[in-house]
Amino acid sequence: MLRTFARFVRGVSADAVGRIGVALTTSSFLVFGFIQVLMLLGLVTNAYVGLVIYLTLPALFVLGLLLVPLGWLRLKRRTGLGHRELLSARFETDMLAGRFLGSRLFLTVAGLTLVNLTFLGVGSARMLHFMDTPVFCGTACHSVMGPEWATYQASPHAHVPCVACHVGEGMGALIDSKINGAWQVVSLSFDLYERPIPTPVHQLHPARETCETCHWPDKFYGERVLGRTRFDLDDASSRRYTTLAMKVGSGREGIHWHVAAGNAVRYASVDDEREQILFTEVLQPDGSWRRYDNRRLDGPDPPAEALRTLDCVDCHNRATHVYASPEALVDEALARGEIDPSIPEIKRTALAALTGAYPGSGGADRGIERDLHGHYQRHHAADYPALAPRLDAAVDVLQAAHRRYVHPRMNVGWDPYPDHLGHRGDTGCARCHHRDMVDQDGVAVSHECTQCHHILAWESPGPFQYLLPLEEGDPEMELHRSLQAEFVGVVPRLQTETRSVGTLQDSVE
Amino acid sequence: MEMNPSGDRDPVPRLVPVHGIQGRAVLSRRRCPLKTPLSFLSLVAPVVLAGCTVASAEDPAPGTTAGRCMTCHREEHPGLYRQWYDSEHGKHGVTCIDCHGAERGDKDAFEHEGAWVATLVTPADCGACHEDEAAQVQASHHATAGQILESQDAYMAHAVGGHPAAVAGCESCHGGKVTLDDTAPNRLSAVSWPNSGIGRINPDASLGSCTACHARHAFSVAQARSPESCGKCHLGPDHPQEEIYEESKHGNAFFSNRAASNLDADRWIVGMDYAGAPTCATCHLSATIAQPVTHDVGQRLSWTLRPAVSKHQEDWKAKRTRMQKVCAACHGPTFIEGFYAQFDGVVNLYDRKFALPAGEIMALVRERGLLEHPAEFSNDIEWIYWELWHHEGRRARHGAAMAGPDYTWWHGIYDVAHNFYFEFLPAARELGDPAVNAKIDALLADDPMHSWFGRDTATIKADIRSGKLQRIYGDMFQP
Repeated sequence: MLRTFARFVRGVSADAVGRIGVALTTSSFLVFGFIQVLMLLGLVTNAYVGLVIYLTLPALFVLGLLLVPLGWLRLKRRTGLGHRELLSARFETDMLAGRFLGSRLFLTVAGLTLVNLTFLGVGSARMLHFMDTPVFCGTACHSVMGPEWATYQASPHAHVPCVACHVGEGMGALIDSKINGAWQVVSLSFDLYERPIPTPVHQLHPARETCETCHWPDKFYGERVLGRTRFDLDDASSRRYTTLAMKVGSGREGIHWHVAAGNAVRYASVDDEREQILFTEVLQPDGSWRRYDNRRLDGPDPPAEALRTLDCVDCHNRATHVYASPEALVDEALARGEIDPSIPEIKRTALAALTGAYPGSGGADRGIERDLHGHYQRHHAADYPALAPRLDAAVDVLQAAHRRYVHPRMNVGWDPYPDHLGHRGDTGCARCHHRDMVDQDGVAVSHECTQCHHILAWESPGPFQYLLPLEEGDPEMELHRSLQAEFVGVVPRLQTETRSVGTLQDSVE
Repeated sequence: MEMNPSGDRDPVPRLVPVHGIQGRAVLSRRRCPLKTPLSFLSLVAPVVLAGCTVASAEDPAPGTTAGRCMTCHREEHPGLYRQWYDSEHGKHGVTCIDCHGAERGDKDAFEHEGAWVATLVTPADCGACHEDEAAQVQASHHATAGQILESQDAYMAHAVGGHPAAVAGCESCHGGKVTLDDTAPNRLSAVSWPNSGIGRINPDASLGSCTACHARHAFSVAQARSPESCGKCHLGPDHPQEEIYEESKHGNAFFSNRAASNLDADRWIVGMDYAGAPTCATCHLSATIAQPVTHDVGQRLSWTLRPAVSKHQEDWKAKRTRMQKVCAACHGPTFIEGFYAQFDGVVNLYDRKFALPAGEIMALVRERGLLEHPAEFSNDIEWIYWELWHHEGRRARHGAAMAGPDYTWWHGIYDVAHNFYFEFLPAARELGDPAVNAKIDALLADDPMHSWFGRDTATIKADIRSGKLQRIYGDMFQP
């Protein structure tokens, strides 16, 4: 058997090309098998090995298989002999002798073909499986996907495979993704891709098929308390609390009303970018649509197919690839104590160090360290020796944050993409919920702050500031009173005020 | 208004008479939150007020109106909010609705999130609390600044320039007439609002805008006391008061002593609460040991240096005495008398040597019908004469008034003289009229101030050395 194989191999190694083909095929097969065994035994766990054995080795295997007949044809052309004469010349007669099931050569070829097909079948299946793993998406095109990979790993969906959202279920989705992937290989090879890569909002599969496999909209969330700690830019880096009771809800009320069963909201945006909203329509019980037009934008309506019905990603557009703002990163590190908030001026100096413009790779690491240490050496020389170890810890945190979020090769700096969760300026909720989004009668879509959240603290010294008693002499006393009334349902009074405490209803009379 | 003891809503909102403006009763829709029978509970009042003034039938949560304003506007206009928060208003519980609250039916009132409000806050509104200040402002020269449509300047801006320049230029300082536009979200015409001109003509018939000096929404007294505040309007080629102040010893000293000037103090008496330097406000408005603060800006001015030929203000001696009381905080009586002698000298020099003869020649030119074009400012000589008095002549006199030597001479009398001898007189001669020429010849030959023009340098120098030339001006150093 082995001898027959050796004679076969010698026979098909027609010339140098054929011999390389045989060597490639055989060695890649053996290496694949060897590594696969090691992986099964748990001796190899490195994720990058997948790139070698599921992509490189099958490719070399097929390349070798193609080289073998190429060598044969080259030999045939060089010698001018026919196939039959070449076969006689390269193989002993017993290999070629006719038998009941065919010659021994034929049986060898047939047997090896079966092995090859099996190997390629298994290999392809393993390859497809491997290509479904996040490590493939994140590292195969390392330079391009670097920013997305880094933010994905730090996200709430870090354990959800990329393909669960970006490919979706079914053969159609798989084929789409492979065609799309082939184009990506081309654009990577010929450097045709944009930097930073644009958000694939239009390629994402519908939320019904992706997000809603885990997060179904009928689940009622009610109100969720959202606490944020911020630090001021003053010398003491004073702690400020913002606490919102988010009216997440579902069904008839709350923010998730937008996507609850039976409700529909659709909109058209400038260039279909989903950022500047031209108009929005809300489905009415009678099946008609109530339309709100954006008075800030003029121009003709886009075609009907450009209307988009709101789903999860219209607001949660950065549910996974979350690009945290530098200020939020510093605040979080301070809140968790990873950076010591008792270092004087630390919020200011840490933020300045993190957002500096640093050249080249590694420039940021050096720059952040020099920036922070330099400041305290110059301006807090007496305290510097005591501060230095705490500054080292801060430097580590800031360097890690910078490495994760800033990718100069991809032109990804701070805040590269709009985030539509919440509202900052004209983003997020404020794309539709503003005073210039009006219906036919000029009535604006609701845009009150307390429509979506109760405000329990707002850059306040305490996390539940507005639930505390009113304080005389506080410029914000009226704000405090109003927000507490909104949340609690009772208008609070100062001790010195003559009116007794009552409910809202009582105080109307 | 009377507040009933339980603080319940007054069913019939009433307008409160504020001080009369030029004989007319002015009604403010605002009531002062700190001047109620419950004023000892200063922080209670705005709440009650918000309930009684503004709450409409739809008000979903009475007593929380001001807070509801803040809930959105803090987010939408953080700068505005922060100014208010840090202001004295913020510290004393004077909230959005206390100034912007309106009555349904007010000319400029509009309904906003369930409350009746108005964008425009007028001196009558501010006067609901700041009664004395509002009354002084209404009586002041500042309050009349918007009534300029008949002035030569306004004619020039509209005819030579054009309406947009008049709106964004002239009226931004002088104040425009705020007009209503029912299609505008806040019912104010965009051509007339924003405007914080000091003589703004408001729909409620009050005049002026407190925010011209006490800018929104900090309404800072420190800002109003700072020279830059006046310098928004009092600068430029025709009345460079800010530049003159910066040149003067007063300005020098102020910019060196700003930090010690105690600008945001409640009491701000020169010599007691600060002594480094005076600002514009110190001399023209603020309190001294001997007199209280006034918001009537002309009360310490003896001259009006605005017209072609200077005039004494009505009751000028009393007004000069008031200014001299300010000077006395830092200067002795002989110093003060000496300063005024020098100041009067320049005013008289300008008037007698240049302004009067130039005015007479210009009158003669007009009288004899020598101008080519009929419209005012359509002839070159009119522009030359205009700049002689309106720009250069004012610069010289203002320079002397505020102790700015460079403006008195190089930007002042020097320019006046150069214009007079080498632009104005040649332009008049060019008209080729014998009577005009005879008048010019007589002036240059017979007037001892001008006769140097035909003499040789050596004899003039000799007259300077001997003091003879100076004696010609000997009678000018007095009012």
